Amino acid sequence: MSEIYDIGYRHYDGPRLGRAYSTRALTVHSLRAVFGLGRTARSKIMPFALAVIMLLPAVVSIAAMALIGQRAMGYSSYAVIMQAVLAIFLASQGPAIIAPDLRFRVLPLYLSRPVSIVEYVGAKVTAMTAALFLMVAVPLTLIYLGELLIDLEGPPQTKEYLGALAMALVLAVLLSAFGLAIASLTPRRGLGVASVIAVYLLASASVPIFYGTLISTGNDAAARWAWLVNPFWLVDAVQVWLFDTTPNSEGGYPPGPASAAIVVVLIAVAVSVLALRYRKAASQ
Amino acid sequence: MNTVVAGITYRALLGRRRIFLLALLPVALIGLALLLRLVGSDDQRSTMLLMEKFAIGTMLPLLGLIAGTGVIAPEIDDGTIIHLMSKPISRPVIARTKFVVAASLLALFAAIPTFVSAWLLVGNEDGIALGFAVGALVAGIAYAAIFLLLGVVTRHAVTIGIIYALVWESLIGGFVQGARKFSVQQWAESIADQISTSPFLTADVTLGFAVPALIVVTVVGVFWTGRRLRVFSLTGDE
Repeated sequence: MSEIYDIGYRHYDGPRLGRAYSTRALTVHSLRAVFGLGRTARSKIMPFALAVIMLLPAVVSIAAMALIGQRAMGYSSYAVIMQAVLAIFLASQGPAIIAPDLRFRVLPLYLSRPVSIVEYVGAKVTAMTAALFLMVAVPLTLIYLGELLIDLEGPPQTKEYLGALAMALVLAVLLSAFGLAIASLTPRRGLGVASVIAVYLLASASVPIFYGTLISTGNDAAARWAWLVNPFWLVDAVQVWLFDTTPNSEGGYPPGPASAAIVVVLIAVAVSVLALRYRKAASQ
Repeated sequence: MNTVVAGITYRALLGRRRIFLLALLPVALIGLALLLRLVGSDDQRSTMLLMEKFAIGTMLPLLGLIAGTGVIAPEIDDGTIIHLMSKPISRPVIARTKFVVAASLLALFAAIPTFVSAWLLVGNEDGIALGFAVGALVAGIAYAAIFLLLGVVTRHAVTIGIIYALVWESLIGGFVQGARKFSVQQWAESIADQISTSPFLTADVTLGFAVPALIVVTVVGVFWTGRRLRVFSLTGDE
Protein backbone atom coordinates (compact mmCIF):
# COMPACT_ATOMS: atom_id res chain seq x y z
CA MET A 1 0.00 0.00 0.00
CA SER A 2 1.70 3.11 -1.14
CA GLU A 3 0.80 6.31 0.61
CA ILE A 4 1.57 9.50 -1.25
CA TYR A 5 0.19 11.92 1.24
CA ASP A 6 -2.01 11.15 4.21
CA ILE A 7 -4.77 13.76 4.25
CA GLY A 8 -6.48 12.24 7.22
CA TYR A 9 -9.20 10.14 5.62
CA ARG A 10 -10.18 7.06 7.54
CA HIS A 11 -8.25 4.01 6.35
CA TYR A 12 -9.85 0.81 5.17
CA ASP A 13 -9.19 -1.83 7.76
CA GLY A 14 -11.63 -4.52 6.65
CA PRO A 15 -10.53 -7.83 5.15
CA ARG A 16 -8.60 -7.74 1.84
CA LEU A 17 -10.44 -10.23 -0.33
CA GLY A 18 -7.75 -10.65 -2.96
CA ARG A 19 -7.54 -11.63 -6.60
CA ALA A 20 -9.62 -14.78 -6.47
CA TYR A 21 -12.52 -12.84 -5.02
CA SER A 22 -12.36 -10.02 -7.56
CA THR A 23 -12.05 -12.48 -10.45
CA ARG A 24 -15.08 -14.35 -9.17
CA ALA A 25 -17.01 -11.10 -8.81
CA LEU A 26 -16.09 -10.08 -12.35
CA THR A 27 -17.19 -13.49 -13.68
CA VAL A 28 -20.56 -13.30 -11.94
CA HIS A 29 -21.03 -9.70 -13.10
CA SER A 30 -20.25 -10.69 -16.72
CA LEU A 31 -22.55 -13.71 -16.56
CA ARG A 32 -25.37 -11.49 -15.32
CA ALA A 33 -24.59 -9.01 -18.09
CA VAL A 34 -24.89 -11.74 -20.74
CA PHE A 35 -28.50 -12.26 -19.72
CA GLY A 36 -29.12 -8.56 -19.11
CA LEU A 37 -29.68 -9.08 -15.37
CA GLY A 38 -29.22 -5.87 -13.46
CA ARG A 39 -29.74 -3.88 -16.64
CA THR A 40 -32.78 -2.35 -18.31
CA ALA A 41 -35.74 -4.46 -19.39
CA ARG A 42 -34.85 -3.74 -23.01
CA SER A 43 -31.54 -5.53 -22.73
CA LYS A 44 -33.21 -8.60 -21.22
CA ILE A 45 -35.54 -9.13 -24.19
CA MET A 46 -33.00 -10.59 -26.61
CA PRO A 47 -31.20 -13.13 -24.37
CA PHE A 48 -34.40 -14.37 -22.75
CA ALA A 49 -36.24 -14.65 -26.05
CA LEU A 50 -33.38 -16.77 -27.39
CA ALA A 51 -33.33 -18.87 -24.20
CA VAL A 52 -37.06 -19.53 -24.57
CA ILE A 53 -36.55 -20.56 -28.21
CA MET A 54 -33.85 -22.98 -27.03
CA LEU A 55 -36.34 -24.53 -24.60
CA LEU A 56 -39.13 -25.04 -27.16
CA PRO A 57 -37.81 -28.27 -28.74
CA ALA A 58 -37.31 -29.70 -25.23
CA VAL A 59 -40.97 -29.02 -24.41
CA VAL A 60 -42.07 -30.57 -27.71
CA SER A 61 -39.80 -33.54 -27.03
CA ILE A 62 -41.25 -34.12 -23.56
CA ALA A 63 -44.78 -33.81 -24.94
CA ALA A 64 -43.96 -36.35 -27.64
CA MET A 65 -42.56 -38.75 -25.03
CA ALA A 66 -45.63 -38.34 -22.84
CA LEU A 67 -48.26 -38.57 -25.59
CA ILE A 68 -46.91 -41.03 -28.16
CA GLY A 69 -44.11 -42.61 -26.12
CA GLN A 70 -41.36 -41.78 -28.60
CA ARG A 71 -38.20 -39.74 -28.45
CA ALA A 72 -38.56 -36.76 -30.75
CA MET A 73 -34.99 -35.48 -30.52
CA GLY A 74 -31.76 -37.19 -29.51
CA TYR A 75 -29.52 -35.63 -26.90
CA SER A 76 -26.57 -35.69 -29.25
CA SER A 77 -28.29 -33.64 -31.96
CA TYR A 78 -29.76 -30.84 -29.83
CA ALA A 79 -26.94 -28.32 -30.26
CA VAL A 80 -26.53 -29.06 -33.97
CA ILE A 81 -30.22 -28.58 -34.71
CA MET A 82 -30.43 -25.39 -32.68
CA GLN A 83 -27.13 -23.99 -33.96
CA ALA A 84 -28.58 -20.84 -35.53
CA VAL A 85 -30.10 -19.79 -32.20
CA LEU A 86 -26.85 -20.44 -30.34
CA ALA A 87 -24.88 -18.51 -32.96
CA ILE A 88 -27.25 -15.53 -32.69
CA PHE A 89 -26.98 -15.68 -28.89
CA LEU A 90 -23.20 -15.68 -29.04
CA ALA A 91 -23.15 -12.87 -31.60
CA SER A 92 -25.64 -10.62 -29.83
CA GLN A 93 -24.48 -11.15 -26.23
CA GLY A 94 -20.73 -11.69 -26.65
CA PRO A 95 -19.96 -8.11 -27.71
CA ALA A 96 -22.26 -6.86 -24.92
CA ILE A 97 -19.75 -7.99 -22.27
CA ILE A 98 -16.63 -7.16 -24.29
CA ALA A 99 -17.30 -3.92 -26.17
CA PRO A 100 -18.22 -1.37 -23.45
CA ASP A 101 -14.99 -1.89 -21.46
CA LEU A 102 -12.96 -1.42 -24.63
CA ARG A 103 -14.96 1.53 -25.89
CA PHE A 104 -14.90 3.54 -22.69
CA ARG A 105 -11.27 2.53 -22.06
CA VAL A 106 -11.87 1.39 -18.51
CA LEU A 107 -9.47 -1.52 -18.75
CA PRO A 108 -6.64 0.37 -16.99
CA LEU A 109 -9.10 0.95 -14.15
CA TYR A 110 -9.73 -2.78 -13.78
CA LEU A 111 -6.01 -3.43 -13.95
CA SER A 112 -5.27 -0.89 -11.23
CA ARG A 113 -6.89 -3.39 -8.86
CA PRO A 114 -5.38 -6.82 -8.19
CA VAL A 115 -6.91 -8.22 -11.39
CA SER A 116 -4.46 -9.06 -14.16
CA ILE A 117 -5.16 -9.34 -17.90
CA VAL A 118 -5.24 -13.13 -17.68
CA GLU A 119 -7.86 -13.03 -14.96
CA TYR A 120 -9.93 -10.38 -16.73
CA VAL A 121 -10.02 -12.32 -20.03
CA GLY A 122 -10.50 -15.58 -18.13
CA ALA A 123 -13.49 -14.14 -16.28
CA LYS A 124 -15.11 -12.95 -19.54
CA VAL A 125 -14.55 -16.25 -21.34
CA THR A 126 -15.77 -18.23 -18.31
CA ALA A 127 -18.93 -16.14 -18.09
CA MET A 128 -19.73 -16.56 -21.80
CA THR A 129 -18.92 -20.28 -21.59
CA ALA A 130 -21.24 -20.70 -18.62
CA ALA A 131 -24.02 -18.82 -20.42
CA LEU A 132 -23.71 -20.91 -23.59
CA PHE A 133 -23.47 -24.12 -21.56
CA LEU A 134 -26.66 -23.18 -19.71
CA MET A 135 -28.41 -22.49 -23.02
CA VAL A 136 -27.76 -26.10 -24.09
CA ALA A 137 -27.64 -27.93 -20.75
CA VAL A 138 -30.96 -26.66 -19.35
CA PRO A 139 -33.10 -28.04 -22.22
CA LEU A 140 -31.12 -31.30 -22.21
CA THR A 141 -31.65 -31.69 -18.47
CA LEU A 142 -35.35 -30.96 -18.91
CA ILE A 143 -35.65 -33.70 -21.52
CA TYR A 144 -33.73 -36.10 -19.28
CA LEU A 145 -35.94 -35.35 -16.28
CA GLY A 146 -38.99 -35.78 -18.51
CA GLU A 147 -37.65 -39.10 -19.68
CA LEU A 148 -37.14 -40.28 -16.08
CA LEU A 149 -40.60 -39.16 -15.01
CA ILE A 150 -42.44 -40.56 -18.03
CA ASP A 151 -40.55 -43.85 -17.69
CA LEU A 152 -40.23 -44.91 -21.32
CA GLU A 153 -39.58 -48.50 -22.29
CA GLY A 154 -35.98 -49.55 -21.93
CA PRO A 155 -33.32 -48.04 -19.68
CA PRO A 156 -32.97 -44.24 -19.58
CA GLN A 157 -30.32 -42.86 -21.95
CA THR A 158 -28.08 -41.66 -19.14
CA LYS A 159 -24.87 -42.20 -21.10
CA GLU A 160 -26.14 -40.18 -24.08
CA TYR A 161 -27.32 -37.42 -21.77
CA LEU A 162 -23.99 -37.14 -19.94
CA GLY A 163 -22.10 -37.33 -23.23
CA ALA A 164 -24.21 -34.52 -24.68
CA LEU A 165 -23.58 -32.42 -21.56
CA ALA A 166 -19.83 -32.93 -21.87
CA MET A 167 -19.94 -31.95 -25.53
CA ALA A 168 -22.08 -28.92 -24.68
CA LEU A 169 -19.23 -27.78 -22.44
CA VAL A 170 -16.64 -28.29 -25.22
CA LEU A 171 -18.89 -26.42 -27.67
CA ALA A 172 -19.40 -23.60 -25.17
CA VAL A 173 -15.64 -23.20 -24.61
CA LEU A 174 -14.91 -23.23 -28.35
CA LEU A 175 -17.71 -20.80 -29.22
CA SER A 176 -17.06 -18.35 -26.41
CA ALA A 177 -13.28 -18.23 -26.88
CA PHE A 178 -13.67 -17.73 -30.62
CA GLY A 179 -16.66 -15.39 -30.44
CA LEU A 180 -15.09 -13.16 -27.82
CA ALA A 181 -11.79 -13.10 -29.73
CA ILE A 182 -13.62 -11.80 -32.81
CA ALA A 183 -15.75 -9.41 -30.78
CA SER A 184 -12.73 -7.98 -28.98
CA LEU A 185 -11.26 -6.72 -32.25
CA THR A 186 -13.73 -3.82 -32.38
CA PRO A 187 -14.88 -1.53 -29.58
CA ARG A 188 -18.27 -1.02 -31.27
CA ARG A 189 -21.04 -3.40 -30.26
CA GLY A 190 -22.91 -3.38 -33.58
CA LEU A 191 -19.78 -4.13 -35.56
CA GLY A 192 -18.87 -6.88 -33.09
CA VAL A 193 -22.28 -8.52 -33.52
CA ALA A 194 -21.96 -8.29 -37.30
CA SER A 195 -18.45 -9.73 -37.41
CA VAL A 196 -19.23 -12.70 -35.16
CA ILE A 197 -22.31 -13.63 -37.16
CA ALA A 198 -20.46 -13.01 -40.45
CA VAL A 199 -17.77 -15.51 -39.50
CA TYR A 200 -20.40 -18.09 -38.43
CA LEU A 201 -22.46 -17.65 -41.61
CA LEU A 202 -19.34 -17.78 -43.75
CA ALA A 203 -18.46 -21.12 -42.18
CA SER A 204 -21.95 -22.59 -42.27
CA ALA A 205 -22.84 -21.41 -45.79
CA SER A 206 -19.66 -22.72 -47.35
CA VAL A 207 -20.17 -26.25 -45.97
CA PRO A 208 -22.95 -27.32 -48.41
CA ILE A 209 -20.98 -25.82 -51.31
CA PHE A 210 -17.77 -27.67 -50.41
CA TYR A 211 -19.68 -30.86 -49.63
CA GLY A 212 -21.89 -30.79 -52.75
CA THR A 213 -18.94 -30.07 -55.03
CA LEU A 214 -16.69 -32.75 -53.57
CA ILE A 215 -19.48 -35.34 -53.63
CA SER A 216 -20.36 -34.55 -57.24
CA THR A 217 -16.71 -35.02 -58.24
CA GLY A 218 -16.67 -38.38 -56.44
CA ASN A 219 -14.38 -37.31 -53.60
CA ASP A 220 -16.43 -38.85 -50.79
CA ALA A 221 -13.58 -39.09 -48.29
CA ALA A 222 -12.58 -35.47 -48.81
CA ALA A 223 -16.23 -34.36 -48.72
CA ARG A 224 -16.54 -35.54 -45.10
CA TRP A 225 -13.85 -33.06 -44.10
CA ALA A 226 -16.07 -30.22 -45.38
CA TRP A 227 -18.36 -30.61 -42.36
CA LEU A 228 -15.57 -29.65 -40.00
CA VAL A 229 -15.61 -26.05 -41.31
CA ASN A 230 -18.71 -25.33 -39.21
CA PRO A 231 -17.91 -25.32 -35.45
CA PHE A 232 -21.16 -27.10 -34.55
CA TRP A 233 -20.52 -30.02 -36.90
CA LEU A 234 -16.90 -30.02 -35.72
CA VAL A 235 -17.94 -30.57 -32.11
CA ASP A 236 -20.45 -33.17 -33.28
CA ALA A 237 -17.56 -34.97 -34.99
CA VAL A 238 -15.69 -35.00 -31.67
CA GLN A 239 -18.82 -36.41 -30.05
CA VAL A 240 -19.02 -39.19 -32.63
CA TRP A 241 -15.36 -40.03 -31.97
CA LEU A 242 -15.64 -39.93 -28.16
CA PHE A 243 -19.09 -41.35 -27.50
CA ASP A 244 -19.82 -43.25 -30.71
CA THR A 245 -23.13 -41.43 -31.32
CA THR A 246 -24.88 -41.29 -34.68
CA PRO A 247 -23.44 -38.48 -36.81
CA ASN A 248 -25.84 -35.60 -37.47
CA SER A 249 -24.34 -34.94 -40.88
CA GLU A 250 -25.06 -36.93 -43.98
CA GLY A 251 -22.18 -39.22 -44.83
CA GLY A 252 -20.48 -39.04 -41.43
CA TYR A 253 -17.20 -37.43 -40.46
CA PRO A 254 -13.56 -38.27 -41.07
CA PRO A 255 -12.63 -40.99 -38.54
CA GLY A 256 -10.18 -40.61 -35.71
CA PRO A 257 -9.22 -37.81 -33.35
CA ALA A 258 -8.51 -35.21 -36.07
CA SER A 259 -11.63 -33.23 -35.17
CA ALA A 260 -10.64 -33.11 -31.50
CA ALA A 261 -7.19 -31.86 -32.49
CA ILE A 262 -8.79 -29.11 -34.61
CA VAL A 263 -10.97 -28.06 -31.66
CA VAL A 264 -7.91 -27.78 -29.40
CA VAL A 265 -5.98 -25.80 -32.03
CA LEU A 266 -8.91 -23.43 -32.62
CA ILE A 267 -9.33 -22.76 -28.90
CA ALA A 268 -5.58 -22.12 -28.57
CA VAL A 269 -5.67 -19.68 -31.52
CA ALA A 270 -8.67 -17.84 -30.08
CA VAL A 271 -7.07 -17.55 -26.64
CA SER A 272 -3.83 -16.20 -28.09
CA VAL A 273 -5.76 -13.65 -30.19
CA LEU A 274 -7.51 -12.53 -26.99
CA ALA A 275 -4.20 -12.34 -25.13
CA LEU A 276 -2.56 -10.25 -27.87
CA ARG A 277 -5.58 -7.96 -28.21
CA TYR A 278 -5.86 -7.29 -24.51
CA ARG A 279 -2.15 -6.76 -24.02
CA LYS A 280 -2.53 -3.86 -26.45
CA ALA A 281 -5.84 -2.63 -25.02
CA ALA A 282 -4.43 -2.57 -21.49
CA SER A 283 -1.77 -0.07 -22.43
CA GLN A 284 -4.17 2.35 -24.12
CA MET B 1 -27.68 14.49 -51.21
CA ASN B 2 -25.09 16.27 -49.16
CA THR B 3 -21.53 15.54 -50.23
CA VAL B 4 -19.95 16.39 -46.88
CA VAL B 5 -22.24 14.01 -45.00
CA ALA B 6 -21.57 11.38 -47.67
CA GLY B 7 -17.81 11.84 -47.31
CA ILE B 8 -17.96 11.48 -43.53
CA THR B 9 -20.09 8.37 -43.84
CA TYR B 10 -17.75 6.77 -46.38
CA ARG B 11 -14.83 7.44 -44.08
CA ALA B 12 -16.70 5.99 -41.08
CA LEU B 13 -17.47 2.77 -42.96
CA LEU B 14 -14.27 2.27 -44.89
CA GLY B 15 -11.74 3.82 -42.55
CA ARG B 16 -9.29 1.87 -40.42
CA ARG B 17 -9.93 -1.84 -40.17
CA ARG B 18 -13.66 -1.71 -40.79
CA ILE B 19 -13.19 -2.21 -44.52
CA PHE B 20 -11.93 -5.73 -43.77
CA LEU B 21 -15.35 -6.73 -42.48
CA LEU B 22 -16.94 -5.51 -45.70
CA ALA B 23 -14.26 -7.14 -47.85
CA LEU B 24 -14.26 -10.49 -45.99
CA LEU B 25 -17.42 -11.88 -47.58
CA PRO B 26 -16.81 -10.88 -51.23
CA VAL B 27 -13.26 -12.22 -50.98
CA ALA B 28 -14.66 -15.49 -49.61
CA LEU B 29 -17.18 -15.64 -52.47
CA ILE B 30 -14.53 -15.16 -55.15
CA GLY B 31 -12.27 -17.60 -53.30
CA LEU B 32 -15.01 -20.24 -53.33
CA ALA B 33 -15.59 -19.62 -57.04
CA LEU B 34 -11.88 -20.08 -57.74
CA LEU B 35 -11.87 -23.25 -55.65
CA LEU B 36 -14.85 -24.68 -57.54
CA ARG B 37 -13.09 -23.86 -60.80
CA LEU B 38 -9.91 -25.56 -59.61
CA VAL B 39 -11.63 -28.81 -58.66
CA GLY B 40 -13.30 -28.74 -62.07
CA SER B 41 -16.94 -28.35 -61.12
CA ASP B 42 -17.47 -25.09 -62.97
CA ASP B 43 -20.84 -26.13 -64.38
CA GLN B 44 -24.15 -24.30 -64.17
CA ARG B 45 -25.49 -26.44 -61.32
CA SER B 46 -22.73 -25.64 -58.85
CA THR B 47 -22.79 -22.01 -59.99
CA MET B 48 -26.47 -21.90 -59.01
CA LEU B 49 -25.63 -23.47 -55.66
CA LEU B 50 -22.93 -20.89 -55.02
CA MET B 51 -25.10 -17.99 -56.15
CA GLU B 52 -28.29 -18.96 -54.35
CA LYS B 53 -26.83 -20.29 -51.11
CA PHE B 54 -23.82 -18.06 -50.72
CA ALA B 55 -24.03 -14.89 -52.81
CA ILE B 56 -27.75 -14.10 -52.50
CA GLY B 57 -28.54 -16.22 -49.44
CA THR B 58 -25.70 -15.27 -47.10
CA MET B 59 -23.41 -12.56 -48.39
CA LEU B 60 -26.01 -10.09 -49.61
CA PRO B 61 -28.14 -9.86 -46.42
CA LEU B 62 -25.02 -9.72 -44.25
CA LEU B 63 -23.41 -6.98 -46.30
CA GLY B 64 -26.75 -5.19 -46.43
CA LEU B 65 -26.86 -5.41 -42.65
CA ILE B 66 -23.29 -4.19 -42.17
CA ALA B 67 -23.57 -1.34 -44.67
CA GLY B 68 -27.21 -0.41 -44.00
CA THR B 69 -26.95 -0.18 -40.22
CA GLY B 70 -23.29 0.82 -40.36
CA VAL B 71 -23.99 4.17 -42.01
CA ILE B 72 -26.06 5.42 -39.08
CA ALA B 73 -26.27 3.05 -36.09
CA PRO B 74 -22.71 3.61 -34.71
CA GLU B 75 -23.31 7.38 -34.75
CA ILE B 76 -26.53 6.94 -32.79
CA ASP B 77 -24.80 4.49 -30.47
CA ASP B 78 -22.04 6.85 -29.40
CA GLY B 79 -24.15 9.98 -29.61
CA THR B 80 -22.19 11.81 -32.31
CA ILE B 81 -25.32 11.94 -34.45
CA ILE B 82 -26.22 15.02 -32.40
CA HIS B 83 -23.48 16.99 -34.19
CA LEU B 84 -24.96 16.02 -37.53
CA MET B 85 -28.55 16.72 -36.56
CA SER B 86 -27.82 20.13 -35.09
CA LYS B 87 -26.58 21.35 -38.48
CA PRO B 88 -28.99 23.12 -40.83
CA ILE B 89 -29.36 20.08 -43.09
CA SER B 90 -32.83 18.69 -43.53
CA ARG B 91 -33.21 15.30 -41.90
CA PRO B 92 -34.71 13.60 -44.99
CA VAL B 93 -31.60 14.76 -46.89
CA ILE B 94 -29.42 13.10 -44.23
CA ALA B 95 -31.47 9.91 -44.59
CA ARG B 96 -31.21 9.98 -48.38
CA THR B 97 -27.46 10.63 -48.29
CA LYS B 98 -26.86 7.76 -45.88
CA PHE B 99 -29.01 5.51 -48.07
CA VAL B 100 -27.06 6.41 -51.22
CA VAL B 101 -23.77 5.68 -49.43
CA ALA B 102 -25.01 2.28 -48.22
CA ALA B 103 -26.44 1.38 -51.64
CA SER B 104 -23.24 2.37 -53.45
CA LEU B 105 -21.16 0.28 -51.05
CA LEU B 106 -23.44 -2.69 -51.67
CA ALA B 107 -23.04 -2.27 -55.42
CA LEU B 108 -19.27 -2.26 -54.96
CA PHE B 109 -18.97 -5.06 -52.39
CA ALA B 110 -21.92 -7.30 -53.33
CA ALA B 111 -23.05 -6.86 -56.95
CA ILE B 112 -19.61 -6.67 -58.60
CA PRO B 113 -18.13 -9.67 -56.70
CA THR B 114 -21.31 -11.62 -57.55
CA PHE B 115 -20.73 -10.91 -61.23
CA VAL B 116 -17.02 -11.75 -61.01
CA SER B 117 -17.55 -15.05 -59.22
CA ALA B 118 -20.30 -16.22 -61.57
CA TRP B 119 -18.22 -15.12 -64.54
CA LEU B 120 -15.24 -17.07 -63.22
CA LEU B 121 -17.36 -20.21 -63.20
CA VAL B 122 -19.50 -20.07 -66.33
CA GLY B 123 -18.37 -17.00 -68.25
CA ASN B 124 -21.23 -15.25 -69.99
CA GLU B 125 -23.26 -18.46 -70.46
CA ASP B 126 -27.03 -17.94 -70.46
CA GLY B 127 -26.64 -14.53 -68.82
CA ILE B 128 -26.26 -16.10 -65.38
CA ALA B 129 -23.51 -13.73 -64.24
CA LEU B 130 -25.35 -10.62 -65.39
CA GLY B 131 -28.69 -11.83 -64.02
CA PHE B 132 -27.39 -12.48 -60.52
CA ALA B 133 -25.35 -9.28 -60.54
CA VAL B 134 -28.43 -7.20 -61.38
CA GLY B 135 -30.48 -9.16 -58.85
CA ALA B 136 -27.84 -8.56 -56.17
CA LEU B 137 -27.66 -4.87 -57.07
CA VAL B 138 -31.41 -4.28 -56.84
CA ALA B 139 -31.83 -6.41 -53.72
CA GLY B 140 -28.81 -4.67 -52.19
CA ILE B 141 -30.53 -1.31 -52.69
CA ALA B 142 -33.68 -2.65 -50.99
CA TYR B 143 -31.63 -4.13 -48.11
CA ALA B 144 -29.83 -0.80 -47.66
CA ALA B 145 -33.19 0.95 -47.21
CA ILE B 146 -34.61 -1.71 -44.86
CA PHE B 147 -31.59 -1.90 -42.60
CA LEU B 148 -31.10 1.88 -42.61
CA LEU B 149 -34.63 2.19 -41.23
CA LEU B 150 -33.98 -0.59 -38.71
CA GLY B 151 -30.82 1.17 -37.55
CA VAL B 152 -32.79 4.32 -36.78
CA VAL B 153 -35.68 2.52 -35.11
CA THR B 154 -33.87 0.24 -32.68
CA ARG B 155 -30.54 -0.17 -30.91
CA HIS B 156 -30.59 -3.88 -31.55
CA ALA B 157 -30.71 -3.33 -35.31
CA VAL B 158 -27.95 -5.80 -36.12
CA THR B 159 -29.40 -8.65 -34.05
CA ILE B 160 -32.93 -8.11 -35.33
CA GLY B 161 -31.59 -7.88 -38.87
CA ILE B 162 -29.76 -11.18 -38.45
CA ILE B 163 -32.89 -12.84 -37.11
CA TYR B 164 -34.86 -11.50 -40.07
CA ALA B 165 -32.26 -12.69 -42.57
CA LEU B 166 -31.65 -16.07 -40.92
CA VAL B 167 -34.99 -17.07 -39.49
CA TRP B 168 -37.49 -15.42 -41.80
CA GLU B 169 -35.74 -15.63 -45.16
CA SER B 170 -33.93 -18.94 -44.72
CA LEU B 171 -35.93 -21.01 -42.23
CA ILE B 172 -39.55 -19.91 -42.56
CA GLY B 173 -39.10 -19.16 -46.26
CA GLY B 174 -37.97 -22.77 -46.63
CA PHE B 175 -41.10 -24.23 -45.05
CA VAL B 176 -43.93 -21.77 -45.67
CA GLN B 177 -44.61 -20.94 -49.29
CA GLY B 178 -46.36 -17.67 -48.52
CA ALA B 179 -43.40 -16.29 -46.58
CA ARG B 180 -41.27 -16.53 -49.70
CA LYS B 181 -43.32 -13.83 -51.35
CA PHE B 182 -42.11 -11.35 -48.74
CA SER B 183 -38.41 -12.09 -48.98
CA VAL B 184 -35.90 -9.78 -50.62
CA GLN B 185 -33.79 -12.77 -51.65
CA GLN B 186 -36.65 -14.26 -53.64
CA TRP B 187 -37.25 -10.95 -55.38
CA ALA B 188 -33.56 -10.87 -56.32
CA GLU B 189 -33.82 -14.38 -57.73
CA SER B 190 -36.88 -13.57 -59.80
CA ILE B 191 -34.99 -10.67 -61.36
CA ALA B 192 -31.99 -12.93 -61.98
CA ASP B 193 -34.37 -15.45 -63.55
CA GLN B 194 -35.76 -12.79 -65.86
CA ILE B 195 -32.34 -11.90 -67.27
CA SER B 196 -30.83 -15.36 -67.28
CA THR B 197 -32.08 -18.15 -69.55
CA SER B 198 -30.50 -20.96 -67.56
CA PRO B 199 -32.79 -23.99 -67.00
CA PHE B 200 -31.36 -24.47 -63.50
CA LEU B 201 -32.88 -21.28 -62.19
CA THR B 202 -36.56 -21.07 -61.33
CA ALA B 203 -38.03 -18.22 -59.35
CA ASP B 204 -40.95 -18.65 -56.95
CA VAL B 205 -42.12 -15.07 -57.13
CA THR B 206 -43.38 -13.46 -60.33
CA LEU B 207 -41.65 -10.39 -61.68
CA GLY B 208 -44.95 -8.48 -61.52
CA PHE B 209 -44.84 -8.81 -57.73
CA ALA B 210 -41.08 -8.56 -57.17
CA VAL B 211 -40.41 -5.26 -58.96
CA PRO B 212 -43.19 -3.21 -57.31
CA ALA B 213 -42.33 -4.80 -53.96
CA LEU B 214 -38.66 -3.82 -54.28
CA ILE B 215 -39.59 -0.26 -55.22
CA VAL B 216 -42.14 0.08 -52.41
CA VAL B 217 -39.77 -1.31 -49.77
CA THR B 218 -36.94 0.97 -50.87
CA VAL B 219 -39.00 4.17 -51.11
CA VAL B 220 -40.90 3.54 -47.87
CA GLY B 221 -37.68 2.63 -46.06
CA VAL B 222 -35.85 5.81 -47.05
CA PHE B 223 -38.90 8.04 -46.58
CA TRP B 224 -39.68 6.63 -43.14
CA THR B 225 -36.05 6.93 -42.04
CA GLY B 226 -36.31 10.64 -42.84
CA ARG B 227 -39.54 10.89 -40.83
CA ARG B 228 -37.98 9.07 -37.87
CA LEU B 229 -34.93 11.31 -37.92
CA ARG B 230 -37.16 14.41 -37.81
CA VAL B 231 -38.65 13.35 -34.50
CA PHE B 232 -35.52 11.64 -33.26
CA SER B 233 -34.64 11.90 -29.58
CA LEU B 234 -31.39 10.69 -28.12
CA THR B 235 -31.78 8.30 -25.23
CA GLY B 236 -29.06 7.38 -22.79
CA ASP B 237 -27.01 4.24 -22.99
CA GLU B 238 -28.37 1.24 -21.17
